[in-house]
Amino acid sequence: MNFELSLLNSNLLLKQAVSEVLSCNDITEKYNLLLTNTQAAALVETRVTALKDNGRMEFGAGVIEKIILAFCDSPYISMLNYEETIHELLEIFYYYKNETNDLMSDDELIKFMKISYDSICQGSLELLSGRELNNLARTLRYAYKEKFTEDKTDLDEEDSLE
Amino acid sequence: MRRIHLNNIEIVKKINRDFLKSEDYFQSLLEEGFRVNLLTTNEVESIQTDCLLLLARQTEKYNGSESSSIKIEAASQLLSSILFTLGVYLKTYENPDLAIEDIKKEGIFNIYTKGLKQIDKLKITSKLLHKSILRKLVKTDNVFYKSTIEDGINGFFKLYYPEFGAHEIHITADYPVHQKMEPLKGIEFINKYLEWIYYENLFCSFFSSEDIHNLLSGYDKNYSDIPFNIYERVLLSALGCELVGKDYRHLEIDDSSLEKLFTIFNKKSKIQIQDILKSGLEGLKVDLNLNESLIKYLNNSLNQLAVLIENSIINNTLDRVFVVPRYYDNSNKLIVSFGIKMEDEKYRKIIDEIRQCRHFSDKKNIIKLEIKSLGDLEDVLIDADLTEDEILRILDELNLGEVAALAKRNSITSIDYEPSSRSGNNILAEALYTYKAILSTQELEKFTKLIEVIVIG
Repeated sequence: MNFELSLLNSNLLLKQAVSEVLSCNDITEKYNLLLTNTQAAALVETRVTALKDNGRMEFGAGVIEKIILAFCDSPYISMLNYEETIHELLEIFYYYKNETNDLMSDDELIKFMKISYDSICQGSLELLSGRELNNLARTLRYAYKEKFTEDKTDLDEEDSLE
Repeated sequence: MRRIHLNNIEIVKKINRDFLKSEDYFQSLLEEGFRVNLLTTNEVESIQTDCLLLLARQTEKYNGSESSSIKIEAASQLLSSILFTLGVYLKTYENPDLAIEDIKKEGIFNIYTKGLKQIDKLKITSKLLHKSILRKLVKTDNVFYKSTIEDGINGFFKLYYPEFGAHEIHITADYPVHQKMEPLKGIEFINKYLEWIYYENLFCSFFSSEDIHNLLSGYDKNYSDIPFNIYERVLLSALGCELVGKDYRHLEIDDSSLEKLFTIFNKKSKIQIQDILKSGLEGLKVDLNLNESLIKYLNNSLNQLAVLIENSIINNTLDRVFVVPRYYDNSNKLIVSFGIKMEDEKYRKIIDEIRQCRHFSDKKNIIKLEIKSLGDLEDVLIDADLTEDEILRILDELNLGEVAALAKRNSITSIDYEPSSRSGNNILAEALYTYKAILSTQELEKFTKLIEVIVIG
């Protein structure tokens, strides 16, 4: 008897997730950010792949909605890079959900990503993923708190020199 | 299709219970139900969907609404727990056809709730059984016996959490029961294991601990470090004495008894040997006034004993089956008590607290503050996910006698002890081995002497 968890990726559940993503347009519209049906479906597809790649599973619409609503007011996101950024943010989110050993809740991790993206990373997803989240994960896992602070201070100094 | 006659009413069963798997009962029940057309494809799909919806609910509870996603391994564990829980309740139906009817009528969510209640009942029954076993433990130096039946089972009750891991056993039952157990999971395994142990202890309780000790010493001088079934030795010896007309109460097989036993069993088939053993058991039954359920257990053991005897006759090793007791000096023993253990709830909280600590100093402070008995300390050192280095630093805080007692309980006893001979993946045993390896010659001598004289009380 098949009780495989892959049953969760049924068409019905995916369709439900797409419609939940599209409902975000009502809020993001005021920032001039809108997703088409195809784009929303692509985001859901990215979520499925990211979950699979990171050995995770999710019920309902998951975090796409939360990420969209958190990042829609970012000064570094416009209609030009909106969809692409959300795709990448999704992949980054699930990767660091594992790397932080689930020690942070979804909301905490998204909040950290948004603050870092808008401030120290100045809209760079590479810096967000490769530096800020990486340091955060190490801090949480190995208690490298002091080193993390030192690195951050150095970077702050570099930023101020610029 | 099977027919059962019940007071002249003929019940026709479509599902044969013998085809259902004891460890994956729910899944095999659905499979059989589908095969014999008690379930349609649509009904099976609907049950599967309900199971996944139940998984979604359990995942939410597991994550505490903090996370919408979960690692696949964790989800898979939750699903196994759900399927096991459903199976525990559905097993209560003698007729599996009625179980299928109940699934259709009640729905998966209600069956799951009933399953959890059934598990709670089993847990309570098992705890009571365990308590009664602890009152009649065989007084023996065998570390596997005590560490499994007392500490192992206590550990299981501390860690068992049916809501998210109903199918888990958590411990390794190092002490083997005599009869082969059917494949079971979770509380069902523990319940059956305890039931077997109960009968075995009950039989052993007819003999003095000193006689059992002498018998086991004859089996092996270092029997305390060997995982073997005590009941089997005692039963064989008692039956052997009975068959050669000796008083079985002291389990004293001697060389002349062995010769007689060889004559009795020589050139006999397994069935014949079993019949001879049965006749020996008849004598014990009358004399010891054994109850029906114990007699049933003893009878079920005879087949296995007959195989042992048949092989020993062929290999000329009957003296390894019917053991001649040996007598050693039991004086100069140091009795160490591991104390009374704390409540399970409190223990779980302490373990969680220690696991969340980042620094060793915090972990040590909690242990110093909260842990009052050697028994609890031993459990914490195993359960709190401490590294070997952290365990060693805690062992350094104890005196040599306390560490020796821990070593005795974890089989770090003989001088030529090798890591490969240790049981399971016990991090404490690893640390104790390292601790022993870095002792100075003088300290090691003292440590070894202590281990020899210590008796866990």
